[in-house]
Amino acid sequence: MASAMRKLMFAGLAVLCASASGHHSDAMFEHGTVLELTGKIKEFQFTNPHTWLQVEVIGEDGKVVEWSLEWGSPNQLGRQGIRPSTFPPGTAVTVRTNPMKDGTAAGAFLGARFADGKTVGNWQQ
Amino acid sequence: MRRKKANPLSIASANSRAGRRLGYLVALSAGLLCSAESWAQSAALPDWSGVWAMVGGTVFDRETQTGEGRSTTPGVREHPPYTPEYEAKYAANLALRDQGILPDPNSLCGIPTGFPRIFNLPDVYEFAVTPKQVWIVAENGPNVMRIYTDGRGHPPVEDRWPTHTGDSVGHWEGDTLVIDTVSLHGSEQGRTFVDRTGLVLSDAAHAVTRMRVAANGNMEVQITIDDAKALKAPWVVTKQFARQAEGTRVYDYACNENNRNPIDPSTGWTFTIGPDGKIIDQKPAGDAASEQ
Repeated sequence: MASAMRKLMFAGLAVLCASASGHHSDAMFEHGTVLELTGKIKEFQFTNPHTWLQVEVIGEDGKVVEWSLEWGSPNQLGRQGIRPSTFPPGTAVTVRTNPMKDGTAAGAFLGARFADGKTVGNWQQ
Repeated sequence: MRRKKANPLSIASANSRAGRRLGYLVALSAGLLCSAESWAQSAALPDWSGVWAMVGGTVFDRETQTGEGRSTTPGVREHPPYTPEYEAKYAANLALRDQGILPDPNSLCGIPTGFPRIFNLPDVYEFAVTPKQVWIVAENGPNVMRIYTDGRGHPPVEDRWPTHTGDSVGHWEGDTLVIDTVSLHGSEQGRTFVDRTGLVLSDAAHAVTRMRVAANGNMEVQITIDDAKALKAPWVVTKQFARQAEGTRVYDYACNENNRNPIDPSTGWTFTIGPDGKIIDQKPAGDAASEQ
């Protein structure tokens, strides 16, 4: 089944995410756009200067696309209760992201929802 | 019975041992006295223990900010009292920022952001007060600022050279630490920026910083910068830092551990590296820097 892939537009929405603001410019992200992706967790890179959630998403053509979703530093997130075990590899997940402007399969991570309804991060963006 | 002849070497050795013991005692006593003196001095110093975090985003001078948004938001700028030459430099940097191609060395990892940007960082801080030095320790780093409060002055001009953090000496006025900072790199050759909007200062910058815990419990850091090359008048910026919950921990900031957003110094482009180690995104259109 092709994965659900919806593009939600929140015009004028101020995005206040704990993402890439420390180490580099976040000008590459489309802050007014929230993209929702459903797939499977490949890896959670709990590393400095930013954490990266790698999610395998099946595109409409049936091919697997690996998305790179950038979040805050492990230091910031660790103080907020996020752990390396927060995203177990192989788990089904739906994520929301501010995608990159150029269409690359990457973006600023906003939040995630697991099959049991549990959410992580800023899901309500 | 033959009397044992004293061996001069033995006597010398014995004397030496006794002398050493005496030396140890003197050193120990002096150490204890110095230590007691240091602790007495410590007791008179303010308690800045714990972990702190800057209030607000990384726009350096929020009081003079134009527009809404963050330091990477197009249209946001600040208004230092720049000379025409440095206003032009800042305007050029703002244009690059608006295109997303400001070559900020902070993204390279491993290079200190230096002063005054050390007071404009995300992540948390510790302000370590000791009798003879104060250390500003930023988790986001590498960034440590050492302020000598033992009464020394700056080295003579001929004995100092520019660094990212400069040379800082300080003294206490009650609970306020007054810091004098010189010998800064400045922003020549894009060596450093004061923030991500591209604020610049020259190597003539000199700052007096006043740090104290304000009535609201926040650490208040008022920085007054004069710069004969860059500024027409002193530039005063106030930053605040809120004390974090008791027990908050500080961690390594190994910026090169997995830096998937380095910059291309020649174009200023912050690119993105994919999971396979290859660049996955496209350079922004209208990349003026690459056309220079």
